[in-house]
Amino acid sequence: MSESRPLFIPVILGTARKGRFSEAVARFVLEQVRKRATIETTLVDIREIRLSIDDAGEALKDQGFSALVMRADALILVVPEYNHGYPGLLKHVLDTNLKEYIHKAVGICGVSASGFGGARVIQNLLPVMRELGLVTIFWDGNFSNVQSLFDANGAIKDVSYIGRIDKFLAELVWMAEVLRHGRENVSLEGTS
Amino acid sequence: MTCRACGTAMNHHADKLDYTESGGADARLGGLVKEIHTCPRCGNVEVRIADGSAGAAPGSRPS
Repeated sequence: MSESRPLFIPVILGTARKGRFSEAVARFVLEQVRKRATIETTLVDIREIRLSIDDAGEALKDQGFSALVMRADALILVVPEYNHGYPGLLKHVLDTNLKEYIHKAVGICGVSASGFGGARVIQNLLPVMRELGLVTIFWDGNFSNVQSLFDANGAIKDVSYIGRIDKFLAELVWMAEVLRHGRENVSLEGTS
Repeated sequence: MTCRACGTAMNHHADKLDYTESGGADARLGGLVKEIHTCPRCGNVEVRIADGSAGAAPGSRPS
């Protein structure tokens, strides 16, 4: 039955800063996801998720975000590199859930003003993803020199990114399909 | 486990050791094992405290 359902793979824009270049990247990635008829998607802007900073547990959750992650088969994180790390607000948002992530796929698009394409923020996110129960893929999106990567209309200037993100999505879709089958049909050894 | 959303039998696909809670059957692990179940029909996810582990011998659980 699961094979007849489209995959749901939201794109999460992982920064709330004013003037963020990552928004153009997130919209570009969203556009590439929407080219695939078998995937449903939406853009999640963490700027619109208002969380308390002095609460805990279930009380901290944004019910809309939790429901979205629960429905998701995979996540795409678009994450700028701030001082070699990930935005604290993104971590705060991600930490509000757990069961919703377990055995789901995640792909990460790193964004940087340098030529390294957010490679360091991706590396720093990997152990976080693992502890949340998410399963990473071995393709990344690496968006370098982001301040000059898009024109005034938000169109990407370097079209090679289209092919790279297509490969990234192919891997993510494969992992999402496999993990959905596993979540729904494959039990832990010795359990039923 | 039955899905509270649609009544379908759920699949138990993961265990998570929660160090913030303790006692019961899983005291020897230093926390509480929680089972993660997913509904094959609607995708709903439920968590419950693992049962049946009280008499399990050390090392008998999947590692």
